[in-house]
Amino acid sequence: MATQAQLILTSDVSGDPTNVDTGLITLTKAGGTNELDQTTGLGRVHLRSTANKVLFAANAEGNDLAAKVYIINKSEDAALYVTVTINAQTIGKLYGGDFMFIPWSQTDTAASIEVAATNWTSSTGDIPVEYALFHEDTDYLTNA
Amino acid sequence: MATSAQINLTSDITDDALSVNNTANLYLAGGTTDLNTLTSVTKVLESTDHVDLITTGSVATTHSYVYINNPSEDASEFFHIHIGNAVGSGTYDDGTLPTEEIGRLYGGDFMFFPWDVDDDITIKPSVATKMTVEYIVFS
Repeated sequence: MATQAQLILTSDVSGDPTNVDTGLITLTKAGGTNELDQTTGLGRVHLRSTANKVLFAANAEGNDLAAKVYIINKSEDAALYVTVTINAQTIGKLYGGDFMFIPWSQTDTAASIEVAATNWTSSTGDIPVEYALFHEDTDYLTNA
Repeated sequence: MATSAQINLTSDITDDALSVNNTANLYLAGGTTDLNTLTSVTKVLESTDHVDLITTGSVATTHSYVYINNPSEDASEFFHIHIGNAVGSGTYDDGTLPTEEIGRLYGGDFMFFPWDVDDDITIKPSVATKMTVEYIVFS
């Protein structure tokens, strides 16, 4: 089982173009080379609320373990954005078409990742958001 | 001037393999005007103090995109990446940390996210043996 991620950034903002290609990196468990072995799979929600909604609920047992989060705003309206927060700390705004890929610490149960369709109104239409979590969690089955 | 970000994700953890490929053109907030500023930095950190990596004062807008890379080849070495105020060599683990930890960036890992430039992005190396961090801010 392997999960791999690659990011390619290109920009001609500066005189010398910027080209970053991470290559395919294998996502591993914390501090070693064992591959991540659990995932939510790819999910999709349609946001129609300006209130924060929990996208990923933190599990304090996940602290010190590896987790990677992918979130994308699938709206085709560049003005419609989704605000992403962790424990009420705003990370940033995903405008239509934007994505993020971050490690997630789950330092405690308050560290849930929440999303809000901050500038949504009944006339803007839903904001579709797709997401996936890749992680390890040695205690998951024993908690079931 | 154009800036784009492409992500490719593949996983065969589940029976039905996952494959995601998306490209985003990065714009100024809320429109389709291209970004116009870029800062690219490489730093070598020689202590485990919790310090500023990217300050709000270094970015002139309220919307940007941040790429951070840990180029270490040692999978056990990592950075704590936070948003909030750095505490230096002070009380990092006493439960009063004035920051939120986003995640740990292990050797070989990268992260890419939008940043609303409300609070500094801070960093704490896991070891004091000259860890290198690379970042780019697009705004």
